[in-house]
Amino acid sequence: MQASGATAASPAAAPPASEARGAGLRKWAIVKIGLLLLAVVFLPPYFDDRYLTTILISVVFFGILGAIYDLMVGYAGLNNFGFAGVLAIGSYASALCQLNFGTTGWEGLLIGGIAAGAIGLLTGIITLRLRGLYLGLMTFFVGETIRLTISNLPQYTRGTLGLTVAPFENIFGIDFARGADPLNYYYLLLLLGAVIMIFMHWLVRSKAGLVWRALKEDETAARTLRVRATRWKLLNFTIASFLTGVMGSFYAHNLGVLSPLPTEFGVGRTVEVLTVAYVGGRGTLWGSFFAAALLIGIQEYFRGLGAWRLVLFGVLLILVMIFVPKGLARFKRLLL
Amino acid sequence: MDWSMLADPNILTVLVLQGLVRGAMYALMGIGLSLIFGILGVVNFAHGELFMLGSYVMYLVVGIFGMPFYLGIVAAAGVVFVCGVAIERGLVEQLRRRAGRDWISDSFVLTIGLAVVLQNLAHLAFGSRQYGVAELVAGSVPVGELEISLERLAIFGLACLAVLLLWAFMKFARTGRAIRAAAQNAEAAETLGIDVRNLFTVTFGLGAAFAGVAGALLISIYPASPTVGAEPLLKSFAVVVLGGLGNVSGAIAAGLLLGVLEAFTIFIAADGWQNVLTAYLVILVLLVRPAGLFVLGGKRA
Amino acid sequence: MFLEVNDVVAGYTKEVSILNGVQFAAEEGKVTVILGPNGAGKSTLLRTVYGYLKPRRGEVRFRGELLNGRRPSEMLRHGIAYLLQGHSVFPSMSVEENLELGAWIFGKDRQARARAIEDAYDHFPRLREKRRGAAGLLSGGEQRALEIARLVMTSPKLLLLDEPSVGLMPKLVDSVYEEIARLKDRKMTVVMVDQNVKKAVAIADQVYVLKLGANSYDGPQADFLLRMDEIVKGWL
Ligand SMILES: Nc1ncnc2c1ncn2[C@@H]1O[C@H](COP(=O)(O)OP(=O)(O)OP(=O)(O)O)[C@@H](O)[C@H]1O
Ligand SMILES: [Mg+2]
Repeated sequence: MQASGATAASPAAAPPASEARGAGLRKWAIVKIGLLLLAVVFLPPYFDDRYLTTILISVVFFGILGAIYDLMVGYAGLNNFGFAGVLAIGSYASALCQLNFGTTGWEGLLIGGIAAGAIGLLTGIITLRLRGLYLGLMTFFVGETIRLTISNLPQYTRGTLGLTVAPFENIFGIDFARGADPLNYYYLLLLLGAVIMIFMHWLVRSKAGLVWRALKEDETAARTLRVRATRWKLLNFTIASFLTGVMGSFYAHNLGVLSPLPTEFGVGRTVEVLTVAYVGGRGTLWGSFFAAALLIGIQEYFRGLGAWRLVLFGVLLILVMIFVPKGLARFKRLLL
Repeated sequence: MDWSMLADPNILTVLVLQGLVRGAMYALMGIGLSLIFGILGVVNFAHGELFMLGSYVMYLVVGIFGMPFYLGIVAAAGVVFVCGVAIERGLVEQLRRRAGRDWISDSFVLTIGLAVVLQNLAHLAFGSRQYGVAELVAGSVPVGELEISLERLAIFGLACLAVLLLWAFMKFARTGRAIRAAAQNAEAAETLGIDVRNLFTVTFGLGAAFAGVAGALLISIYPASPTVGAEPLLKSFAVVVLGGLGNVSGAIAAGLLLGVLEAFTIFIAADGWQNVLTAYLVILVLLVRPAGLFVLGGKRA
Repeated sequence: MFLEVNDVVAGYTKEVSILNGVQFAAEEGKVTVILGPNGAGKSTLLRTVYGYLKPRRGEVRFRGELLNGRRPSEMLRHGIAYLLQGHSVFPSMSVEENLELGAWIFGKDRQARARAIEDAYDHFPRLREKRRGAAGLLSGGEQRALEIARLVMTSPKLLLLDEPSVGLMPKLVDSVYEEIARLKDRKMTVVMVDQNVKKAVAIADQVYVLKLGANSYDGPQADFLLRMDEIVKGWL
């Protein structure tokens, strides 16, 4: 019945056209992006305001998570409604290893990534042969299962009492102890984000990115090209989960306390990340950062409004879904 | 854990009864979701918030105005039906005009936005306090050597009644029949002069009304609060998956089964583990029988 | 003209038009057949007439009245019935329920509904035998009979049929065309899209050929039969 209304036109024709826009415009865009990056790197110490830095950490953190989510949904059409569960795996793996086996937080980044990647791989193996809706439901329940299991094993995870996590160990003479300058965490996050973003940016332009988009557009057609759909999707899912786990580990050591509450590692968190990705614009990667800035900006600016800002969140998501399916990326030209 | 307790007929009876009561609640929560998915192809993430609306209406009518509880249930059904109709016309229908192949995930994300809005509007209107109604029906009846409260029995009875009403409506009413037809082949239904667009709206309203009735009926167990919908949503999803997506009678059977399983889990393990069990069970079923437990041969996957 | 399609442009997506200025007319009480290769836009033309697609240009008129912008669910009340391409029974509902739905537009008028269903049974006795069975379990021919019965029970004035004989056993194919020829006796106008050139033309009064979403031939049955080889050569 939906098919009679509208079948999406092949958007494959769109990108080349915009890329063919005048070289002059592109030059300006590069200059503007450069200025923006410089500001992001050099302005925070200039203000040197703990509150502002914490917010910036939040923005960049959610920007990265949104971009990772976008890698799945925007490029391969895979909706992971259990995203927060994967994040939890990364966080708890890194924290528990530190606590029980004495690994460092730095090793934890990798441990978290590998643990989450493994869970992603496993989930992928059992889910990715399912189609659209089943995939969504399955990931939803996998996410909840992870959270509920953590919550019901207090002897290992301290459950909802909260698990205290040590900060990153000092390295190269930089102080990461609790109470140290949050700017250090900010720069660590920027570095992490830069690596992840450059990697994903390259990834979606590689052959893998091409195959993913083909699968997203039309799985049957892609199959006839002898593309092993499930394997490619599995690759996407596993990479995204690995990156999510790395971010989860950062989250654990930055925050210092973990708790399997729905708002932390449940549906609520997934909804936040998903909103960032959708509002930023699916299939844009970088759009997430603007969405995160906008959404967290609104949140902080309207602190006095209480629940209204969350209402605003929801309304924004609804509006994006109905009127601006391309998200903020639609307004790219205003900026670049 | 003393396993021999499970051999005690008294304990067994009570567990099964508790389980059936629980199961009837789950069935009631789930059928609205199942109905909406079956007909419109929308996985309504705001189902829990519609449940919440129902419980607030119940609180207002019974707790504040002191009316009898059945009026509260009727009022909840009415109010949430109207909300459902407004949501369908105002949002879902608007999205349908634009959406293409990604309808299922797009409409799901739309209802996520809606859930966030409704939850926080409730927060603004009522704060985060829980509002309950002490007891709808007082007293209890003996079952063997133990007692079961009349309240639970009333919940069981009313939930069954509501489910039965829906079943009869779908089976015998003209509109119900048209709804089933539209679910099977919307285009063909249109060629017979059936206005499928209106049916969609009515169906969404009905599915919403059932969530509202569940919220109202269960207020003594789930007191009204902005986040009260979270657990019912989870249970509804579970019921819908176990019963087979869009299969309303499957959802009813799945609800009862899940209720009994959970009653035993709570008894054997501890409170809290029943939710873990549910989630694992759903994953298992999605894996081996994605069409649901009650579809022969597992077609429709 | 009874049904008129003037210079219609329509398509499924913004970028692509499937029909590029199609011209078409059907006379009252006649059988008009539309032929053409796969993907020519025959089904799309019927869908546009019936309101599933909005014409971007041009107009559709039924007995002089403009149909543009009307919704499919209004059409039967206007006396236009549509047999969709492929099967369109409601498979998990009983035969009787399917017929009940066929009588939907009689609304609450129980008598009219009962009479229409009785007529359908009289016309297709096989359906009466299987009235309680699920429609999805009927044979292909029986399903088609049910579809046709459901279609004509409200006595529409115009029938749009999309490949009514496709997928049936040869023996049944003939009976379907006989059935359609009989509709003519019941004063119904038929517009039929078909792949079975010979059999369709045999009962046709007027023949149209579409190619690539545009008119390629139209003429009366006799003229088509004379020039058939030349016209059909391209796609058969
Ligand atoms: N729902 C749809 N969405 C997008 N394009 C469609 C849709 N249905 C048909 N088309 C396209 O429209 C064109 C014409 O299709 P149509 O079904 O009208 O052909 P037809 O002449 O009926 O062919 P056939 O004899 O095979 O039924 C085809 O190229 C087809 O791919
Ligand atoms: Mg066709």
